[in-house]
Amino acid sequence: MILRTIAFNTFGTFLRDKVLLVVAILFTCGLLLMLTPLLIARTVMAAGNPAQAQSMVLGTVSVILIFTSGFGSLLAAWAAADSVATEMKSGTILAVMARPVKRWEFLLGKFFGVMLLMCAYIAMMLTLTYLLTVIGGQRIHSAPWLLVLYPLVRYSLYAALAMMLVTWMHPLMAWGITTATAVVVMIVEPTGQPVKNVAWRWIKNVLYTVLPSSGLLSEDRFLTIKEAAIKKTGWLDHVTTLAYGLDYALVLLLLAMWSFHAKSLRRD
Amino acid sequence: MTAAIEFEGVTKVYRRGWGGQEVPALTQVSFAVNSGEVCAFLGPNGAGKTTSISILMGFHAADGGAARVLGYEPGDVRAKRQIGFVPENFAFYKHLNAVKLLRFHAALAGVALGETDARIADLLGKVKLSGYETLKIGKYSRGMVQRLGIAQALLGDPQLLIMDEPTSGLDPAGRKEVRDLILALKAAGKTIFLSSHLLSEVEQICDKAIIINRGRLVREGTMQNLLTTGDKAEVVADRIPPEIAVRLDEWGATTEQMPNGVKILLPLLRKREAVEALWAAGADVVSLQPLKSSLEELYMQVVGSENPS
Repeated sequence: MILRTIAFNTFGTFLRDKVLLVVAILFTCGLLLMLTPLLIARTVMAAGNPAQAQSMVLGTVSVILIFTSGFGSLLAAWAAADSVATEMKSGTILAVMARPVKRWEFLLGKFFGVMLLMCAYIAMMLTLTYLLTVIGGQRIHSAPWLLVLYPLVRYSLYAALAMMLVTWMHPLMAWGITTATAVVVMIVEPTGQPVKNVAWRWIKNVLYTVLPSSGLLSEDRFLTIKEAAIKKTGWLDHVTTLAYGLDYALVLLLLAMWSFHAKSLRRD
Repeated sequence: MTAAIEFEGVTKVYRRGWGGQEVPALTQVSFAVNSGEVCAFLGPNGAGKTTSISILMGFHAADGGAARVLGYEPGDVRAKRQIGFVPENFAFYKHLNAVKLLRFHAALAGVALGETDARIADLLGKVKLSGYETLKIGKYSRGMVQRLGIAQALLGDPQLLIMDEPTSGLDPAGRKEVRDLILALKAAGKTIFLSSHLLSEVEQICDKAIIINRGRLVREGTMQNLLTTGDKAEVVADRIPPEIAVRLDEWGATTEQMPNGVKILLPLLRKREAVEALWAAGADVVSLQPLKSSLEELYMQVVGSENPS
């Protein structure tokens, strides 16, 4: 009951956040610009070149997914850092924590509120992606749950990281470090190309081992509009990969709770 | 009588930055507030009142000593279930209205869903906010927000109310309403821990007072003990017969003409003798009581001397 109350209140606060609304509108406008290449692809298909059209649509949808996925990670990190910091800054946390609410319940409720926001985001972006693909005259064959669960786990990871950091530092700094981590994670992802510099190879290997893999947790690898090309990943592979991401998120969330447990609560 | 609040040698030090200057906020503060008491918590700005309340609520951890609230460690949810807290300058979610905010707090306080709306309507009536239920709290005046803060504190029918400046921002009528509300809660057997700068109000409603200054306890006791000067008595008689006036002069008494008679201030040891002499001389004794100072006088005496303005 407490977790649900805090989560829905957090989600409600996000929905009334004017900055978030403006950014969401600008982002949607950016996505709608993708209509142009999709309409071109449709024209190409009509001209009797379906293979080229399919390739164009796949390329565009992939760009959209990378775009929405990157923005989603930033949004999850910002929302998590902001949701805790705003309560501290405004002093609302004092009235909430005067209630029979444990500190971990407060933080977990906030985290669930962020995840509700990210669920809404994924639902909107997925709808838009499917819609744009249909406009391009194609169809996505990947199972929708893959395109929901994988980004959700990835966002939970970045939200937990930002939430842990914001218990120690200013929300902007927490957001910046989370964003930087997301960039580093992409950089250290193995590309298949040999790395000549030994030191760099060692650093990459260490960082790749320590940090969560964005490649593994990316829904992009399951994206296809050709049914025959869908990767045959078994249930066990999905469960293992998702558990791997959730494990990272859980550890970060536990660290956040531990840090928040000893934090002095005051109006900042 | 069991203690609702116990502070035993509580010490709190704030540190500025990493390894920076240490600022003592509380030093070896000890006091107790019994169940059913209305206790004033007084001190100048920066004396450590809000820090003490923050420790009581579990917002800050003490660096030394021990604090217990309703028999539990501060911050324990079992204690918090029985506590209503009015923070100084109550903060709220601006996008909510009063009913939605109180529903949110009721859910956190564990108020049964079926009782929530009736209790909210009752509390809004008590704090004179009926009719403003649907107005966004962001549009409330400061006084209205403060009243709402009091309403949210009463949601869980708490045994202990901790109020940090509950009447700040209220007009005289609003202050009187809060005073009456506190008196009603006192009559219902609630324990109230009240931090305030309004000494005349505190004097009217509190059973005891704790005064801290610069993080140290400087005075604690029941209002009666604190305000009794100890060595003088005040006798009011309808008149002073001439033969008594001479004796009063001999005792070092002073007199003052009042609308209902004459007020005589005399050494406490002479009170019986004086009353008997007045009766014997045919004067009527209207009242007799130990001489009391006001809380303001006491406060200025114990705090004012250490805080030269």
